[in-house]
Amino acid sequence: MVNELRDLMRDAVASPPHDHGDPAGLVAAGRRRVRVRRTVAVAATSLAAGAIALSSVAWLDPSAPDPAAAGVPHADGPTISLSGARPAVVGTDYRELATYTNEDLESDNGEYFDGVTDDGLVLLREGATVTRHRERFALLDPATGEKEWLPDRPGAGQQSWALELGEDRLVLMRLVNDDGMAVRPEVDVLDRTSSTWRSVRWPTLPAQDDFPTVRIGPDGRVWATVLTRPGRVPDGGWPVGPDGEADDADAEGSVGSLWSMSITDPGDVRDEGLQVGDFGFDGDRLVWTDSSNGAAGDVHVRDLSTGEETSFDPRLGARCNLLGLDVAGGRIAMTQYCGTYDGGVRDDRVQVVTTEGEQVVTVQASGVDGGDLVAGGDYLTLTAYDRATGGTYLYDFEDGRLLRLGEGISSWSVATGPTPGDQLLWTTPAGRKVATFGRSGATAHLGEIIR
Amino acid sequence: MRDEAAFVEFAQSARDRLRRTAYLMCGDWDQASDFVQEGLVRVYVRWPRLVRNGGELAYARKAVTSAFLDHARRRSSTERPQEADPPAASGEDVAAAVTTRAALMSALADLPPRQRACVVLRYFEDLSVADTAALLGCTEGTVKSQTSRALFSLRAVLDDSPSGDLSEGAVSW
Repeated sequence: MVNELRDLMRDAVASPPHDHGDPAGLVAAGRRRVRVRRTVAVAATSLAAGAIALSSVAWLDPSAPDPAAAGVPHADGPTISLSGARPAVVGTDYRELATYTNEDLESDNGEYFDGVTDDGLVLLREGATVTRHRERFALLDPATGEKEWLPDRPGAGQQSWALELGEDRLVLMRLVNDDGMAVRPEVDVLDRTSSTWRSVRWPTLPAQDDFPTVRIGPDGRVWATVLTRPGRVPDGGWPVGPDGEADDADAEGSVGSLWSMSITDPGDVRDEGLQVGDFGFDGDRLVWTDSSNGAAGDVHVRDLSTGEETSFDPRLGARCNLLGLDVAGGRIAMTQYCGTYDGGVRDDRVQVVTTEGEQVVTVQASGVDGGDLVAGGDYLTLTAYDRATGGTYLYDFEDGRLLRLGEGISSWSVATGPTPGDQLLWTTPAGRKVATFGRSGATAHLGEIIR
Repeated sequence: MRDEAAFVEFAQSARDRLRRTAYLMCGDWDQASDFVQEGLVRVYVRWPRLVRNGGELAYARKAVTSAFLDHARRRSSTERPQEADPPAASGEDVAAAVTTRAALMSALADLPPRQRACVVLRYFEDLSVADTAALLGCTEGTVKSQTSRALFSLRAVLDDSPSGDLSEGAVSW
């Protein structure tokens, strides 16, 4: 039979339609990926190669790398490493509100915590599986385990991200392809009172082939960047670093225009007239950088109610690329990649400054990423990918304690999204060892900080 | 510096073959192009190390397969194309050939994604069990069992195809 099968397969692909593949576009996408993957390398949709690359660097040497010996420059201002962290103690440092373990995501889809509503319910997503053909969402009460199943989402099956999980409505964002490779954000809004979904798309918003930053503003509108000036890539591509990977440290930043859109009126699309890198909101204040995914430039803070605006130099390191920005409680967390040094030791940083420009703290270590402010900005979470230090960390700005929430990094991201109050989500590896993804599964954790 | 000219040359030479493989996995030429694009972007990212160590095509094949499996895992493990792209048929018995090809693509689409990948890699790419296992990141036993199940399912469907009798023959490894 197999010979017939071979023939049939060859016959089936004997006359393919014309391929519109464009080498220039492929190279451009590759150049962008070299940068982008530094921030998303171990997300659920990450590449096998990325996961292998990350783990292989330190696999043979489980001790934490020595940045000074590798020639990594010390960050300016108050700086800490991960070495002073102590394991977080459940019941003392945090309460575990809910967990869910997917034992085998390698074989099939699983369940995910996509955020927590303002009234404390977990947005639980059941992915479609071999035996369960539809993706579906529920609101899970972590106290009782009871689930309220939601009606089918309009964009079911498409990857989505929670933008707002309120008491009155849930807003999920997805990216929808234009005619070609370009995408626009669209949102699905659930009215929790009537339990009905509606979708909002904005046809007049410019499409782009870059992943936009999308946030809900204090005015209830959806704000998004549209890439207008990608950072220039050196002729011939990026130089190869000591680890054999392309090294894009000290890159020119990218700039986009900032738009806002009504969540009720598809025709209400507004160019806010700002060129930004990354941006975020802290109450009524809009915070943005001049550029991102490269040099950050200055940080700007505008009070949207009064129009008052201030700017300052955040004093990133000379070779630092801004990869992520989060704002809350008068603090700004900036995740950066600042170069690779001897032995593949990376200079990664999560730098926190106040909205007035005062340096708060910088966590500097090889393989730290994903700095997020939680609990109203009183705490910082970050993720470390080095084998010796891998895990999710929690930093308390008030007393300076650094806690390690769990050892090991999962290649699957099963717990992300907004959380209310002092709650936070994180992922730990679970299941059996597998070649591509380290572990076959992952556990989603929802915890609450004990102050 | 990254040798982009060498990468482009490789991408252009490998693209067509990879696209055919991806099409057999997903059943849609446009989607196959997307998977190849994604796979080749992954190759670009790893290019300096690949050209130093060799194995560019093997890595590209793995990257395209991973892109397909990632997509299948994210969206739905049982997702199948609404309808296979109409093949550009020619020859004497066009109707029968078209119907058989459609039956094949439909039967492939009915397989779980990893079984589909096993069949395509084993019998279209002609990879060994060991190579397929290495590519998919699983054991050789898993490849054998997945392929065996896939062939059982395909046999049941294709035996009824108008191309006539697909010989029963034992599955050989």
